[in-house]
Amino acid sequence: MTDDAIPLQSDADQRAIAALRRKNAVWRRILKDPPAALAALFLLLVVAAAILAPWIAPFDPYSNNMRLRLCPIGGARCPDFLLGADQQGRDMVSRMLFGLRSTLGIGVIAVLIGGSIGAGIGLMAAFYRRLDTPLMRLVDVLLSFPAILFGLAIAAVVGTGLFGLILALCVTSVPSIARIARGAAQSVMQQEYMEAGRAVGLGDGALIWRYLAINCWPTILIYMTLQLGQAILLGAALSFLGLGAQAPTAELGSMAADGRKFLSIAPHVSTLPCAAIFLVVLAFNVLGDALRDALDPKLRQ
Amino acid sequence: MISMPVLLGVLLIGFLLLQVVPTDPATVSAGPSATKADIEAIRQQMGLDKPVWLQFVLYLGRVLQLDLGRSMISNRAVSEEIGLTLWPTVELMLACLIWAVPLGILLGTLAARRRGTLIDRFIMGLSVMGVSVPVFWVGLLLIQYVGGAGLLPFQGRDGPIWTPSGLHSIILPAITLGAVFVGPVARMTRTSLLETLSADYVRTARAKGASDWRVTIHHALRNALIPVVTLVGLQIGFLLGGSIVTETMFAWPGVGRMAVGAITSSDFPLAQGAILILAVGFMTVNLIVDVLYAYLDPRIARR
Repeated sequence: MTDDAIPLQSDADQRAIAALRRKNAVWRRILKDPPAALAALFLLLVVAAAILAPWIAPFDPYSNNMRLRLCPIGGARCPDFLLGADQQGRDMVSRMLFGLRSTLGIGVIAVLIGGSIGAGIGLMAAFYRRLDTPLMRLVDVLLSFPAILFGLAIAAVVGTGLFGLILALCVTSVPSIARIARGAAQSVMQQEYMEAGRAVGLGDGALIWRYLAINCWPTILIYMTLQLGQAILLGAALSFLGLGAQAPTAELGSMAADGRKFLSIAPHVSTLPCAAIFLVVLAFNVLGDALRDALDPKLRQ
Repeated sequence: MISMPVLLGVLLIGFLLLQVVPTDPATVSAGPSATKADIEAIRQQMGLDKPVWLQFVLYLGRVLQLDLGRSMISNRAVSEEIGLTLWPTVELMLACLIWAVPLGILLGTLAARRRGTLIDRFIMGLSVMGVSVPVFWVGLLLIQYVGGAGLLPFQGRDGPIWTPSGLHSIILPAITLGAVFVGPVARMTRTSLLETLSADYVRTARAKGASDWRVTIHHALRNALIPVVTLVGLQIGFLLGGSIVTETMFAWPGVGRMAVGAITSSDFPLAQGAILILAVGFMTVNLIVDVLYAYLDPRIARR
């Protein structure tokens, strides 16, 4: 028996190594792309600030001081407030930090729940061929429907507030994640280890959970992150309309709406939250484009 | 038709909204001096004693006859309220599309022709910013700098678009709404044009000695526009979201503003009607896009 009989690297090994190389190449590409790297760094900082808000905020975002009402940035009345004060004399820096926290938090919760449901649908569609058409048809229907109408309809039925807002954002993030999950799961389904798993007598549940889901989740997680940008934008719009987060809550969309009455005398009160939403969503989109380019071999030159 | 189940879902939501109305419709229409027997008679007459599924069927029948109930606040028929607000919304959307789509196609074509250059990067950068910016920020900036300076009106609608004052009042809302729409159109045009520019017939046209711009405009763009039309159709939903925010900000008397107002003031019948008409409108536009598609690409019509 010679060494040739047992090749050092089987086909599957080589494919696995190639896959690993591709994955590393993705991150290398992103770090080499200055806008994408900058966006990633910015998001890292923003998420850290949102998580640490209760500890790093200089003041209580809910304690008002009417004497400092609408104090401009750098105003002599409020030397301690770096970004001025809002219509109730609350520190804008602290409001922004807490606003970021709730805006991001709402998005994360909604995308995690909705994305998990979507991922479940996608995996099922790929695993059980018979379910593929009906499930994907349902997903197409959900996808074809404007997200804002879900928001309106849900707010109308369950009333305005955080619950309805999160529910609406959940529903809108289900279909796109379902599509991604199905695509990822279909390529995993063609791997030999799926067949091997079945051959050693694993049940459907074990196959789906231990073989299929575990190999799909990196892709799904990446797309869930990207979905966050959209969820944040929609959530802010619904809150701006008064259908989401309600008055005292520091949330960027409703802060922008509250501040717009003072646009001519204190533009910073609504401009700052708007700019924050814009920058966060922009960073998500720039990073998302870079990731998509890196993951899509057709676009790679 | 794929939207049929959605339509049914929306109708179900509409029906549900009418069920949660806190007051009993029979008691209300019977008036304060009615006896218990009177109320019971009216209840039977209105079909409120029937099982829920039958009530839903009756509701569908009423919707088909455009009988959507009465607003709880203004007490006018919901269909009448919708009739008043529908045209302003259509007007706003058309005013947005008429400048945003051509500009998007122009920018996308420019970016594709100058692929990889600074111009391309600049246009694509603008387009990413366009899809990331909250509509309400664009509106706030315009109100602050253009409206605040007294250059253009930013509150309400002064008559139909064909009158000078109406045209004046639609400018700022239309710019706000279109600003977020140029980006996706430019981007899609660029991607799709790059694809068609590498097609065989484009090479043939070049070989026959056609100039660069003639090839782009005459041979490639029409084919490249097919996905753009699809995108515009798909983005109508996106546009709808934008228009709801824009209408609310600029006090534009459209369906979106009415829907938000109805929801926040718990006017359930009006909310039901507004959501229903928004959904139906969205589906109608998609249907129009399908027809347009067949016109742009005769291969589809022949199939």
